Amino acid sequence: MDSIWFQRISKFSAYLLAIVWVLPLLYAFWAAFHPPEYATKFALFAPLTTENFVSAWDQAPFFRYMLNTVIITTIILFSQLVVCTLAGYALAREKFVGRGFAFALVLTQLMVMPEVLIVENYRTLTGLDLVDTHLGVGLPYLASAFGIFLLRQTFKTVPQELEDAARVEGLSGLGIIWKVFVPLAFPTYLAFSLVSVSYHWNNFLWPLVVTNTEASRPLTVGMAIFGAPESGVDWSVISAGTLIAIGPLLILFLVFQRKFIQSFMHAGIK
Amino acid sequence: MLKVEGLTRRYGDQTVVDDLSFSVNEGEFVALLGPSGCGKSTSLKMIAGLETPDAGSIELEGKDITDLTPGQRKLAMVFQSYALFPHLKVVDNILFGLQARKVAKDEQQRRLDSVVELVGLQDHLQKKPGQLSGGQCQRVALARAVVAEARLCLMDEPLSNLDAKLRNEMRTEIRSLQQRLGMSVIYVTHDQVEAMSMADRIVLMNDGKIEQIDVPEGLYNKPKTVFTAQFIGNPAMNIIHSDNQCLGIRPEHIEIVEEGRPARVISCDYHGADTIVLAEIGEQGGTTEIIKIRYPGHAMFAAQQSISVHWKLEYEHRF
Repeated sequence: MDSIWFQRISKFSAYLLAIVWVLPLLYAFWAAFHPPEYATKFALFAPLTTENFVSAWDQAPFFRYMLNTVIITTIILFSQLVVCTLAGYALAREKFVGRGFAFALVLTQLMVMPEVLIVENYRTLTGLDLVDTHLGVGLPYLASAFGIFLLRQTFKTVPQELEDAARVEGLSGLGIIWKVFVPLAFPTYLAFSLVSVSYHWNNFLWPLVVTNTEASRPLTVGMAIFGAPESGVDWSVISAGTLIAIGPLLILFLVFQRKFIQSFMHAGIK
Repeated sequence: MLKVEGLTRRYGDQTVVDDLSFSVNEGEFVALLGPSGCGKSTSLKMIAGLETPDAGSIELEGKDITDLTPGQRKLAMVFQSYALFPHLKVVDNILFGLQARKVAKDEQQRRLDSVVELVGLQDHLQKKPGQLSGGQCQRVALARAVVAEARLCLMDEPLSNLDAKLRNEMRTEIRSLQQRLGMSVIYVTHDQVEAMSMADRIVLMNDGKIEQIDVPEGLYNKPKTVFTAQFIGNPAMNIIHSDNQCLGIRPEHIEIVEEGRPARVISCDYHGADTIVLAEIGEQGGTTEIIKIRYPGHAMFAAQQSISVHWKLEYEHRF
């Protein structure tokens, strides 16, 4: 009896949370596809329009912003995968003096809010003359403590005999990582990539600080300038712009969600 | 072809392998036998290069390989867990080493064809290891070792994960494969039956040290120590203490007769083909020893029943 009620309540809460969560998105869809006069008014048969998308697209260089976001996210993701793989392997399998301490440092870094470091990071970037570049936006995130931790845990579960077998068969250290550890940790890579991409696609504060021009400004910052109150708030156009901005990521997520779950299931069966 | 000299490995102040020396001849099947924790697997890993010895040398075909990496030694190895790569198809698992060593494609294909026929995996090449049974996984691991055409093949308890019936089948199969190909093999096992039935020579280890190196018949017929005597043979050899020496006699060499040494039955353990009779010999009330007797057929002795036992002098071992 109790467990049935518990199930019902938790199911209800889950739906409630999901609805609250999805409301802004639903509103954005509503506002974007209807003329401005319906932006704050609900009418079932309000006329549909794509006018908002056209004007949003014309008002701001969305294509440039999107390109910037893609470049920045790609730089970050690629570098994170390389760095975290090597660091994760070293922390999981290589025996060296101070390994525990190094791992503790990585874990400590997980607890530091990135926002705390903005001023110092900005100073460093100025010194490196990287302000307002793609690399500059990505630089503080080229390594990820979370990714190192995740991959270390996964690599630790790879049986020692598999590594031994690869070694006897004549594979080099890097060869073993590439041919044995990376394929076996594939679901972890996928999960981490999803988290990383969605975080950096949506990252706002740091890019806002460090970018000055269209040359490196990502979507999030572009949207904020586009929708700033002093330029007059047109909710319909902002909604359309938002949808343009989140569109690729939304599609990517929906496509990958299937694969993501599949690969997790595959990992479980094996 | 392989010569191991004074191989030693310590973990902290514990010596796991102590001054191990033995050799393997061309085409020979040598078993490293011993109870678990006796250092046999560690020894094998040192030969493979997966562990670094603290002292000693390993020589292969006249060359010192002690400091070479595992890959440079060009040995093949079969692991207890099979160590198949779960993300690769059977065919890629078999060819893993050849691909890593960049062997020419047509050579790979030629070797693959012959080895697949040898172990009978024709129908499973495109499957993943997860879709195979334990015995089939074992065959893939074997194929991967054979396809390397290595000078020496190391096997680390390769049959211990199989059920009893399959284990017997694979035992004969590995042995015949080894003889047909003339492979030199070092085979680690804790199962004396495996070692006795497969090996040309057995290196019996105990507590990191070599107890005796001999052919199987030698270990059975002429054990040099009490440990060897009791480790080889099932049930273990009876050890009867008299004065300051030990008398060893195998259960299968003791007969139950009309006239002989008096004994009292303690219990009978029926095994089908024979019965293991647990009995007590010696004076009642005085010093007694418990012995096991292997009695052919089904013995029906009541507990405390008096019997007479006898054995031929030639079967006695003295330590």
